[in-house]
Amino acid sequence: MLKLVVRGIRANLGRLVLTLISVVLGVAFVSGSFVLADSLRSIFDQISEDAFAGVDAQVRAVEPELNSSGENLVRFDESIIDEISALPEVDYAEGGIFAFEQTYSLLDDGEVNRPLGPPVFTSSWGGPSPVSSFTVVEGVAPIGQQVALDSAQANAGGFAVGDQVTMSLPTGEPEQFELSAIIDFGDGGTGGAYFNLFDLDTTQRILDSGDVVDSVVVNGGGTDTDVLLAAIEPLLPADVEVVSGETVIGESQEDFGSVIGIFGNILLSFAFVVLFVSIFIIYNTFAILVGQRTKQLGLLRSIGASGGQIRFMVLIEALIIGIFASIVGLFGGIGVAWLLKLLFSAGGNSFPDGPLEIRLRTVIVVVAVGLFVTLISAIIPAFRASRVSPLEAVRDGGRKERSVSFRLVAGAVVLIPGLVLLALGMFGDVDGTAARLAAIGIGAALTFIGVSMMSALFAGRAAGMIGGPVEATRGINGRLARDNASRNPQRTAATATALMIGLALITGVAVLASSLLATFDDLLEDALTADLFVYEANQGLDFSSGVVEQLDALPSTDSVAGFARVEMLVDGDVEAVTGFDTATGTSVINAGILDGTAELSQNGIAVFDETADERGWGLGTTVPVEFEDGFVTDLTVEAIYDDRSIVENSFIVDRRLSRQHVQIDAVGFVGITIADGVDAEVARAEVETITDNFAQLTVQDNTEFQEGVEGQIGQIQIVINGLLVLCLVVAFFGIINTMALSVLERTREIGLLRAVGMTRNQLKSTIRWEAVIVSIFGALLGILMGLLLGWAAVVAIPDSFISKVGIPWLSLVIYLIVGGIIGVIAAYFPAQRASKLNVLDAISHS
Amino acid sequence: MTVTEEAVRWAARADRASKIYGSGDTEVHALREVSVGFEAGRFTAIMGPSGSGKSTLMHCMAGLDRLTSGSAFIGGTDLGTLNDKQLTKMRREQVGFIFQSFNLVPTLNVRENVTLPSDLGDGKIDMGWVDEVIQTVGLGDRISHRPNELSGGQQQRVAVARALATRPEIVFGDEPTGNLDSKTSAEILEFMRRAVKDLGQTIVMVTHDPVTASYSDRVLFLADGQIVKQMDDPTPDSVLDTIKSLGD
Ligand SMILES: Nc1ncnc2c1ncn2[C@@H]1O[C@H](COP(=O)(O)OP(=O)(O)OP(=O)(O)O)[C@@H](O)[C@H]1O
Ligand SMILES: [Mg+2]
Repeated sequence: MLKLVVRGIRANLGRLVLTLISVVLGVAFVSGSFVLADSLRSIFDQISEDAFAGVDAQVRAVEPELNSSGENLVRFDESIIDEISALPEVDYAEGGIFAFEQTYSLLDDGEVNRPLGPPVFTSSWGGPSPVSSFTVVEGVAPIGQQVALDSAQANAGGFAVGDQVTMSLPTGEPEQFELSAIIDFGDGGTGGAYFNLFDLDTTQRILDSGDVVDSVVVNGGGTDTDVLLAAIEPLLPADVEVVSGETVIGESQEDFGSVIGIFGNILLSFAFVVLFVSIFIIYNTFAILVGQRTKQLGLLRSIGASGGQIRFMVLIEALIIGIFASIVGLFGGIGVAWLLKLLFSAGGNSFPDGPLEIRLRTVIVVVAVGLFVTLISAIIPAFRASRVSPLEAVRDGGRKERSVSFRLVAGAVVLIPGLVLLALGMFGDVDGTAARLAAIGIGAALTFIGVSMMSALFAGRAAGMIGGPVEATRGINGRLARDNASRNPQRTAATATALMIGLALITGVAVLASSLLATFDDLLEDALTADLFVYEANQGLDFSSGVVEQLDALPSTDSVAGFARVEMLVDGDVEAVTGFDTATGTSVINAGILDGTAELSQNGIAVFDETADERGWGLGTTVPVEFEDGFVTDLTVEAIYDDRSIVENSFIVDRRLSRQHVQIDAVGFVGITIADGVDAEVARAEVETITDNFAQLTVQDNTEFQEGVEGQIGQIQIVINGLLVLCLVVAFFGIINTMALSVLERTREIGLLRAVGMTRNQLKSTIRWEAVIVSIFGALLGILMGLLLGWAAVVAIPDSFISKVGIPWLSLVIYLIVGGIIGVIAAYFPAQRASKLNVLDAISHS
Repeated sequence: MTVTEEAVRWAARADRASKIYGSGDTEVHALREVSVGFEAGRFTAIMGPSGSGKSTLMHCMAGLDRLTSGSAFIGGTDLGTLNDKQLTKMRREQVGFIFQSFNLVPTLNVRENVTLPSDLGDGKIDMGWVDEVIQTVGLGDRISHRPNELSGGQQQRVAVARALATRPEIVFGDEPTGNLDSKTSAEILEFMRRAVKDLGQTIVMVTHDPVTASYSDRVLFLADGQIVKQMDDPTPDSVLDTIKSLGD
């Protein structure tokens, strides 16, 4: 038995290798996802350990219930540093303060020197010490009007130690600093982020923070950690805590780890999509191989092999392929990990270097997945093989097609639950976007399988229709291509399925993207009435609220309104609230005020209509609130609004109130209307005289804002498509495989055609067009399915995010063409092989 | 022979044609310097024991294979001077070939199979002639049937019709009736003879059957890669006698 299997594999080696590639690609993607995530985790674990190597204890504020300043830590009085330093248990203590996106080095032409994507950090630094996270490349610690920059930044700016570097500051007035040192974070692995380091006093001055720090790091010089912690503990004011260095490292590793985990899971889900696609390819290959061996199998049956033995034979064949593919895929994962790194680096996020590692878990999962995928794909062909009757050894071309009704029923059994799940995700009473999307995901997978099964029913006719124009323009070559594409609908359907899934996902993403844009267009039209916006475009971070006053003072501006995100307790619950200049805001946005006045008093609050309904609030209701500084008051509901697309939150208070009770008085977005009679260009130039002082700020009008969003969406789409392209690659190999098998099957026919006068080029053209027709069929199905899925997702995603379906017509046409091109390229090798066939050999081929 | 050299027009001809398969120990001389001409407007049968080189001769003369040495001509053209593309064009326009089986493209119907060679070329074909050929082989009512809807005999008739449809210089048939019963064979052979007599076609066919050979104007006997005997106006008995005499 085994001998037969080995013979079978050897005889069909070429075809099996192509099948192998499909499995290997999927498996390698799974392996690569694990390898990359594991490697990154190890690297970042090491970075965390290095960065906090000398830190035995850290003093920091207890994470408060309310923190409006997002990424910034809560700060406390710096006097604690001296007290800690004075302890006999403490060898060295350093207090520090840290901020995101506040200072930037400027290039000679005044442009901001910053990485695309990763953030720029501002931090105080006391120089090399046991607790320092930074290593000096060159120079000495900055004092006073001096700065230390990381080496990547210094390189990008062309700065050398001793140079005067102009730094953009949150005060709005750039200053000159002498570059005292070039440093690196840990060993230089910063993921592309920049660091600007000043001494503590200077940092406090720049950040306008007062004499506060957000952490004190302590080296005990050998003191037992518990003793050290116990000694520091009594000195601490309320809401400040001390933790061990180990805790700090653990937390840092966990922070990195959770990001890497999400990243790894995203990659894995793409990998599983690719595997899903390859199942169809493997299934198709086995089905064709079994079909072609019907006679041989019939012979085996007639000399006494049982159906079970035949089935076993096919499955063993699959098992051997699965094992082989898993091993190749496992190591291929290293290559994939490397490619993925490249893909993401191209997007601006550089990964730190480090060895790629294959963990035991990866090996087990990858081999299991590879085997599972191959065996599951071979099961149906194996059963079909076992049902081959001994008679079929003598019957010529005795292929038994499944009856139409069987396919209809089987397809429906899978398709209907798929559609039901899709509908459930779209319209059903399912809680949460995640659950809805999960329903859509599983629904989509079932729909794909169902459509694939049923598509065999119409693949022949569809291929005939698609082939119509081909025949009309290509004559007999087109005619033969068309006939060949439609003569085996089952095979055409299975081959097209892989392409269908790949393009359906890509189309779905494109529909989502264009719906997002369409939603955004609407939003700009209705909700945002400002002429200009000012915001930090790179990370969407807050900036000094002083900008609002400065802009308001300009003669060319009419209304200027700032938006701040504030965390508050509203009626006992932690809520995100928009602090908004409501007096000027009415001309900047339209929040869809249903009731009351858009212009709030300092004791007023506006509530989103659904929230108001839920809580049973109306105009005049008194709502108790508490701010992050502990201030407690009662606010009165003064307005009900129904459009939170710009406001984002379900509550609005006036910023005159909220700014008094937050740690850092900042805004995230400023809207401006231009004064009557002032030219837009003039106004903009005036606005820029202010914003130019804040290097991180961007001024945009409606169109630019829209283009910016388009660009961002486009970039995300590129990364997603970069991952989905692998589906197309698998589909591509699937088409090569099917075409190669079909050509082999039709060897005699090809010989005959050549004998009666078909040239090699005509033959190639025939094969090429056949592949194109099959691919276009797959592409069309894919695009239709993609539209369905995209629409489903748009419906499932909350309206506040996407409310309108947009159809990317141009992209759809491009995808169709891409489908055709895939067919052309995939046909190349089979066509080449067919055209090289010797006419007489081909004719006498059995 | 009563005809003088000058008066004869050769539809196809071989000049010291040799074909060697393999090399060294496994070398097989399938044709040994065969010189033969097929007169235009005549029906020639080729006979000989299995392995004597009949198929090889046909293939080389029809431009399906190349000679090891010597030359083969269709009309006035030396096939050895043609590249693959020109040879293909030659097969398409000047040669008709009928195989023993599997002559038809399964996805095309009767008429499409018949016009296939011309469709592969410029598509210019005398449709009146095509219809006549199809009618004559008795498939007028089957014109849009696919091969799998036809009997073996009907399929061979389509093949004959296809071979004649382009009015080629010469038609080769390698045991064209070898798979058919005697009644069906007779019908097809009768038709082939009419094509030669009435329409002026040139046909060369390989056969093992003396009765089949008797439909031809002349029989060539091949043995071990050489022409060992020729015979005009054969009858089944005379052919059988010749075979017996050669066997001795
Ligand atoms: N492709 C090939 N490779 C090697 N030898 C070949 C090949 N084709 C034919 N031969 C050999 O050449 C010789 C002539 O073969 P050919 O097929 O012409 O014989 P034939 O007269 O047609 O026989 P049959 O009546 O059995 O069809 C035989 O010995 C055969 O074995
Ligand atoms: Mg032969």
